[in-house]
Amino acid sequence: MFKVLDSAVPIACWSCSIGHNDSTLFCPHCSKIQPPPGGDYFSVFGLEPRLGLDLPALEHEFHRLSRKVHPDRFARAGENERQWSLADTALLNDAYRTLKDPLHRTEYLLKLEGAEIGPDLSAESAAADGKDRKDPSRVPADLLEEVFELNMQLEEMRMARKMGETDAGLQPSLEQAKRRFDGLLVEVDQNLRIQWQVWDEGDAAARKKAEKTMVGLLDRRRYLSNLVRDVTETLGA
Amino acid sequence: MAYSDKVIDHYNNPRNVGQLDKSSTEVGTGLVGAPECGDVMRLQIRVNPETQVIEEAKFKTFGCGSAIASSSLATEWIKGRTVDDAMAIKNTDIVKELSLPPVKIHCSVLAEDAIRAAIGDWKKKNGAAETAQATTVAVAH
Repeated sequence: MFKVLDSAVPIACWSCSIGHNDSTLFCPHCSKIQPPPGGDYFSVFGLEPRLGLDLPALEHEFHRLSRKVHPDRFARAGENERQWSLADTALLNDAYRTLKDPLHRTEYLLKLEGAEIGPDLSAESAAADGKDRKDPSRVPADLLEEVFELNMQLEEMRMARKMGETDAGLQPSLEQAKRRFDGLLVEVDQNLRIQWQVWDEGDAAARKKAEKTMVGLLDRRRYLSNLVRDVTETLGA
Repeated sequence: MAYSDKVIDHYNNPRNVGQLDKSSTEVGTGLVGAPECGDVMRLQIRVNPETQVIEEAKFKTFGCGSAIASSSLATEWIKGRTVDDAMAIKNTDIVKELSLPPVKIHCSVLAEDAIRAAIGDWKKKNGAAETAQATTVAVAH
């Protein structure tokens, strides 16, 4: 009859009453538009959660589905179908935007798997009695030292500028630092890609391990990209 | 987002900005970071070896106004307290005092972590037995 994914709850089609996964925008039996599915973003495109994606294929599927749910096609449909076409379009856009970007996709998958990442989650987890707080030592001490030192240099340079001075020694050292941090960013991204493959091909244990590594890499990445941004700003000022 | 008056006050007139001699045995240094926003905070204490009272506290924070205010307030609060008393300061106390909104709660957590890290560093310098205790406390939270 129909295959039920673990993550998808079977529901009955409003039109033909035949059950299907709560992951499709259209009933596989009568082809009628469905309310926004409750599954994850991957299932909207008929995919299992994974990190390595065929982006041209994803884009193709996005365009195909976008045309199918487009509100113009439901202008004369019933009120429910009109509303669903709007809601499905919004969902499809969110899903595509999230999955096509490598970092957003990684963060999204990690959240699906229950990892604590990103500013919004940390605010909640740190709330109230401070239980479930994140391990403060997740970021390596040497990176913290470096971030701190570089921030000191940046501040020094901004102060010197304010006083109308130009510190000849600072500029090259900042430029050097920027190149190094750019290089580290590339390294982090390469490591993330390696972990994608580990996750996509691994068993449950390998996946858990890869998830932990990826959370660490994303933290490192956030520091580095903030630094690169600040250095670039100061150099360009 | 609107900052509370107290946050603005600490931001404009931060208390105890600066640094202490990292190599001194009386000084403990805590360097912590919030990966979510990329903030870094250094908090240092100078402890009287006789009384275990924190006689001096300094901080330097690179981050948003709430992070600066949280660490500024933290140095004010721990000055004059004993090390054990200072460990009792909770991030929720900082949240209340500064009226931090939910999205800025992690700034207060960072300040609490910085206090603990500084005290932990000082304890490590002043006897390994106490280090074990400090580690246990840190894990319990």
